[in-house]
Amino acid sequence: MRSFVWAGVLALLAGGLSAQRPHRSGLWGEIAPGVGHARLACAGCPDVETVNGVTTQFRIGGTISRHVLIGVETFSMIDRPFGVTSEDSTSAESGTFAVIVMWFPGKSGLFFKGGVGTSYGDFVIAADTSSGVGMGLTFGMGWDFPISRKFAFTGNLGTYVTALGDIVLPGRRVDDVIATMYQLSVGFTFR
Amino acid sequence: MAASLLAVLLLLQGDSATRAAGTTAFPYPPPARPVMAVAQTVLINVFVNRVDAWVFNQDWAHVGPDDWARNLRLGWEWDEDAFGTNMFAHPYHGALYFNAGRANGLDYFRSIPVVFFGSWTWEYFAETYRPSLNDWVMTSFGGIALGEMFHRVAATIRDNQARGGGRTFREIAALPIDPMGAFNRLVRGQWGAVGPNPPEHDPGSYVLRLGGGFRYAEGWTTDSGTAQLAAVIVDLLYGDPFAQEYRDPFDVFGLRLILSAGGGINVLRGSGRLYQKNLNSASARIRHVLGVNQRYDYINNPAQSIGGQSVEVGVNSRWRLGSKGYGLRTALFGDFIILGAIDAPATGFGERNYDFGPGVGARAEVALERHGARFVRLMWQAERIHAVSGASANHTVNFVGAELNVPVWKAFAVAAHATRFNRTSRYTDGSPTDSRNFTEGRLLLVWTQAGFGP
Repeated sequence: MRSFVWAGVLALLAGGLSAQRPHRSGLWGEIAPGVGHARLACAGCPDVETVNGVTTQFRIGGTISRHVLIGVETFSMIDRPFGVTSEDSTSAESGTFAVIVMWFPGKSGLFFKGGVGTSYGDFVIAADTSSGVGMGLTFGMGWDFPISRKFAFTGNLGTYVTALGDIVLPGRRVDDVIATMYQLSVGFTFR
Repeated sequence: MAASLLAVLLLLQGDSATRAAGTTAFPYPPPARPVMAVAQTVLINVFVNRVDAWVFNQDWAHVGPDDWARNLRLGWEWDEDAFGTNMFAHPYHGALYFNAGRANGLDYFRSIPVVFFGSWTWEYFAETYRPSLNDWVMTSFGGIALGEMFHRVAATIRDNQARGGGRTFREIAALPIDPMGAFNRLVRGQWGAVGPNPPEHDPGSYVLRLGGGFRYAEGWTTDSGTAQLAAVIVDLLYGDPFAQEYRDPFDVFGLRLILSAGGGINVLRGSGRLYQKNLNSASARIRHVLGVNQRYDYINNPAQSIGGQSVEVGVNSRWRLGSKGYGLRTALFGDFIILGAIDAPATGFGERNYDFGPGVGARAEVALERHGARFVRLMWQAERIHAVSGASANHTVNFVGAELNVPVWKAFAVAAHATRFNRTSRYTDGSPTDSRNFTEGRLLLVWTQAGFGP
């Protein structure tokens, strides 16, 4: 973990010195593991549940112009309890598949991201599985730190708003679930 | 406070704009004023909130730091507002944000963050209610679609080369369609200034149809026979996908408005192209173009309420017939509904009687036309909405229609429309499947104004 953080810091320094223009061009891809925080709300629930988990994100796309990229992105966050129950045999995963637009406003690696697509949630409780499918929105920002002509480290800060519908659990039903996930990740970007 | 801040910003940015623009009152491209655009969205929110709090004494408008802290902690939920509020009023509100961007020199894409920012700040800081996810989506995406169409329609109404009373009339006529554009033009002294028009003023090809007559509807309420209602229809085709190569989003769009006695706005539907690519030669007699459109749909009548924000991808084709401008047009599109809304029995939540959900769909159309003006039109559309708020249900909608326009004298025609609507709702909680049909006919006297060419 410590070496991972140091790698990020070094990349930040290197990138800050060398970034003269957006790194991504042509066909590009990025994979980014990270950490996340989720907030689950439901209809009629007086409060929200919050949990932490690990996230994975994969993006691939192309270039529309010097400042605008388009692509698709998958994102998932996994947590065993995920707030819906305290049973040990529980696991939960929620994610988004979205078409995204990335905007690099200047010559640096700074970018902003927005996207819309579908979302899913899988909840395994004992032997029962419940899942929801719905709408997903994502917004975020980040910075590409070029390491070489073909490779860059990318810092990402993102939010994913997913509407999952009703989740049927053993003995109860959770209506109109909205999971809002916040992600912090370091990506590996290839082009 | 907010007004003072805005006045200072206007002075500062007006000065820089004049420097950038030289002597003309209508520089093109207009100078971008992103700070002013954001400041105006904040001003809209402060103004609307204070009017609701101080003039109408609405409880929900008396917000304070405790509400803001709670909203930031708890985040999104679904609201229980009426269909018209969520699906028309909020998108119109979003159009104000969007056009704060457009009126300050931002293009379509750069105005998008402005509308998301304006809507997000309203949801979190302008109401005592928790922020509503459906409001954010409808206000933002609907605001983008309606905002860009309103911006362009207002630009066609305004004429920077007109003078006198006619000029003032045009400025006032455009005000309810694009209030933010009107406000910025007034502040900058552009209501009376003479200069060149922006490109949006002249769409090249266009067809405007205004119709008045009657609607005959069967099954609008479950126990009624045939209802007769007075109706007004406005159809606008702004630009032509075959006459103009793609330049900007919504440089070609279609808009239909139906006003009906007793119900006000019954239909407001618009679709504008976001992108287009020729699939064969632009000079071929038979042409095919790949199109991506952003769509806004609002249908609200006693029998059915349905609407949403969507993006569609498909192919428009035109077959020329003879040499006098006649042709056959077809369209085949598939769509993705970002978030839709539909009513059915046992739907909704709390006081809300309809569901929200994403979906998919398709539509097809065949039309006989001359220079883009359709005389005979056959259409089909199917949509499926998966509810994520309200009932546990999947709603399927099928819509077929035929429209005939028969010219009778000069620009006047008699139009006959017939449509058939079907909704089937399947519930996953064991409730029985519900189905609803209604048939509608329209007989209208229609006036057509059209322009041809790029």
